[in-house]
Amino acid sequence: MVIEKKFLKGNPLKDISEYDFPGLRRALSLGQENVIQEISDSMLLGRGGAGFPTGTKWSLALEQAGDKKYFICNADEGEPGTFKDRFLLEERPLKVLEGLMIGAYAVGADEGFIYIRGEYDLPIKIFREILEDARDEGILGKNIFGSDFDFDLTLVRGAGAYVCGDETSLINSIEGKRGISRIKPPYPIQEGLFGNPTVVNNVESLACAAEIINKGAGEFVALGTDNSRGTKLVSLSGDINLPGVYEIEFGCGTLEEIINDLGGGVSYGNKPKFVIPGGLSTAALLPEELNCGYSYEDIEEAGSSLGSGAIIVVGESRDLVEILLKVSRFYMDETCGTCFPCREGNKQINFMLNQHKNKKFTRQEVEIIKDIGDAIAAAARCGLGQTSLSLIESIFDKFPEELIEEVRHSEKVRNR
Amino acid sequence: MKRLEIDNIEVEVEPGTTLLEAARKINVNIPTLCYEEELSIFGGCRLCVVEVNGGELLKPACATEADDGMIVKTHSPRVREVRQTLFELIIASHDISCELNCLTCTRQSSCELRVVAEDIGISRMRLNPIYRGLEKDFSSHSIVREPNKCITCDRCIRKCEEIQGIGIFANSARGPETEVTTFQDKGMGNVECTNCGQCIISCPTGALHEVYHSEGVWDALYDENKHVVVQTAPAVRVAIAEPFGAEPGTVATGQLVSALKRLGFDGVFDTNFTADLTIMEEGTEVVKRVTENDNLPVLTSCSPGWIKFIEHFYPDYLKNLSTAKSPQQMFGALAKTYYAEQAGVDPEDIVVVSIMPCTAKKFESRRPEMNGDVDFVLTTREAGMMIKSAGINICDLPEENYDNLMGVSSGAGDIFAASGGVMEAALRSAYYLITGEELEDIDIKPVRGLTGLKKAEVPINEDLTLKVGVAHGLSNARKMMELIKEGEEFHFVEFMACPGGCIGGGGQPIRADMTSEDALQKRLEGVYSIDSSKKMRRSHENPMIQKLYDEFLGKPGSHKAHKLLHTEYTARGLN
Repeated sequence: MVIEKKFLKGNPLKDISEYDFPGLRRALSLGQENVIQEISDSMLLGRGGAGFPTGTKWSLALEQAGDKKYFICNADEGEPGTFKDRFLLEERPLKVLEGLMIGAYAVGADEGFIYIRGEYDLPIKIFREILEDARDEGILGKNIFGSDFDFDLTLVRGAGAYVCGDETSLINSIEGKRGISRIKPPYPIQEGLFGNPTVVNNVESLACAAEIINKGAGEFVALGTDNSRGTKLVSLSGDINLPGVYEIEFGCGTLEEIINDLGGGVSYGNKPKFVIPGGLSTAALLPEELNCGYSYEDIEEAGSSLGSGAIIVVGESRDLVEILLKVSRFYMDETCGTCFPCREGNKQINFMLNQHKNKKFTRQEVEIIKDIGDAIAAAARCGLGQTSLSLIESIFDKFPEELIEEVRHSEKVRNR
Repeated sequence: MKRLEIDNIEVEVEPGTTLLEAARKINVNIPTLCYEEELSIFGGCRLCVVEVNGGELLKPACATEADDGMIVKTHSPRVREVRQTLFELIIASHDISCELNCLTCTRQSSCELRVVAEDIGISRMRLNPIYRGLEKDFSSHSIVREPNKCITCDRCIRKCEEIQGIGIFANSARGPETEVTTFQDKGMGNVECTNCGQCIISCPTGALHEVYHSEGVWDALYDENKHVVVQTAPAVRVAIAEPFGAEPGTVATGQLVSALKRLGFDGVFDTNFTADLTIMEEGTEVVKRVTENDNLPVLTSCSPGWIKFIEHFYPDYLKNLSTAKSPQQMFGALAKTYYAEQAGVDPEDIVVVSIMPCTAKKFESRRPEMNGDVDFVLTTREAGMMIKSAGINICDLPEENYDNLMGVSSGAGDIFAASGGVMEAALRSAYYLITGEELEDIDIKPVRGLTGLKKAEVPINEDLTLKVGVAHGLSNARKMMELIKEGEEFHFVEFMACPGGCIGGGGQPIRADMTSEDALQKRLEGVYSIDSSKKMRRSHENPMIQKLYDEFLGKPGSHKAHKLLHTEYTARGLN
């Protein structure tokens, strides 16, 4: 029986007068290197989807020369099925702020931005008030808590582009440019916002960092599996009885258990047709593949990815083509339009799928879709493009009978 | 130094070298489309992706720096497969159809997509184009944009911004609808476009091309009641043979005359003649203004791209421009007066056609103050197409001479084709106009060549040393104007809108097979070879110019000359 493990979750924490920022105070007394050491010791992996070690990112940023550095909180949560950052922004915003300030202090940044998804009205309202109060209380400003740490934070409201969740696009957006990805290298750590070294961290990563400094790395590192430490906020959605945000310890159970024990089972039919384990950019898993443990390594071994922690359950009586069309439409609309494979590839795939509402695909059509998928995965300019066909390709792989025409006899003969 | 292995060949390169450059060093050609040597890296087309250390994710060679120990595969089976698919997608976005197809395309013989297709070894084409239904932009007198053909490689955007320093293009709309357009979609004719046509040279697909005048010229040639005369610009003769397979810089003056006579022109004349005339008018003006210290420096006025640039960006300096019309417009004005009189033809029946290396000349001919003196302007490319479609291969023709009255020119007229040429030509005559003696060392080398900004001091007499400047390419023009604004003193400054001057004009043949710098260098050599092989190398020595003044204009700067050969400018400012 999987149950929640509350490391990040807790009572609502929004009123600045009720919180003393013990983690930030501790960080200021530890010193920059020690803070980063503690984050490295915790083995925290970035929670935005790519899973890059947070301690490594911070220590690389600290090493960067230059007097001006920026620290950005990526709250442009847009991966379909993902709503765990919203939970933190609405329920535990002061922990997010604390993590952000700890990070900024650790890497030597004196200016920061929190870039919140445009549709997130409530989090934007909450953060507006928090920033105002924090400035009034001297929590933002000069010589914070009597230290020599100066920091100010600006709220930026996103304008609705999914691609701005990609850190380089997000940086362009803050600069007032088109939300399109930048060529890496240089990485933001080297040359980010306005050409200065810049750290971009996901909301959940920062909340984790705040709790790690509050409670010590030991408590965090003791949770989870060898390669996936701590807890993860999971967004459960789709054809499920109890959708919502759940905090679970890595390795505490299988995907199937999470869906049944926490999510209350499947709501559209008796069993899932398939499950998307990490947001729309990850490959589908069949019911028989769901007995894999919930950790980065186990889901990877099952052929998919933990991604942003969004588990989307698709009930057995759903129409596959309808799902394919919706997924493809999403990526077609949300490509930034800069690199050819992502822009033209997603457009072509949507075009081809649209022509097939009520009939099966020929082998040749599936081959074209696979070729385009492979080209995008291998050659697109940013993560959005590279993963945009993961789900669609996996659905074709896993449901050939349902989607692909039988090979006709004459073709079989010819192929010999 | 960085040591790496590309396609099993060891290679050592300077730090900062990209994989694309490193591969070229060992003669491995990686196909590219959005890459252009002189522009910033865009990394959009992804055709140059290569395998690095066997990684799943392929790396764009244009944007990846070589590093120690890298094992690079530029043409592995996987890379070639991905490239083929990418190319299929590109072609599908290029919208080939009945209306838009290779056979009617301006780039039918210089299509970069075709070159790339061959480089990749395309063996399949499985995707249908998705019609975008974008409207053509006909707002400009010089340039047409066909956005359905555009593959959004953004080379025009970067060319206009980085090389010309203007930036009339930008990406607009989101994601799949991303397109290249002008500010607020106003159209090229309604923004600060200088009509230089450098975007056309950069476009790999023919989504940008000149406003065609060839149909009008055919109609005039077929009309028995019309007397059709043609002028050929200095830079055309070193490029017109290129569409027929010749190397850039091949001098084909006589063959060009011959071809035009075969096409049926009633008079074949040389813009070099009016280039000599420009020197007489402008030179006289320079001498007068330098002596009287009147609105110095004098800025040249023959490049219409530069003129539109200064009208938009430096309108306060319009008073510094020479009032002399460009050679094209001087020719137009004289064709319908002097020539009409001498040939006994009603000016109403005369149709004046220009062959120019330039797209901005089309706009210039439509300026209201030019009275429609020039009826049609053909680019070098259009002239090449017309000649071809008349069944003529210019390379096979015998040489013929220009018609006499306005066909004789000095070497000074020839070098108008290259950056620094107008300056050199003017100095050759200004020296004479001021001192009454001939300049002995006639080759004024400091103003020649492809350096962006050139400066020289030319001693005239004990009291006067002329300080001159030369800028080509509009980024350089802007730099020069800023120097002038900051107070740097010049007497006379030459400006050309296009890099290299007219030899690199936006109307010149497009080379998909060599860098623009190589083509420029070869055309440059062609131009100076014509000048140095001529006996008559100073404009004021031209006997037909002397005859023109004697019989028609009086003297340089006369009232009649002013009426016909000088003009005024419009302060346009920013839209």
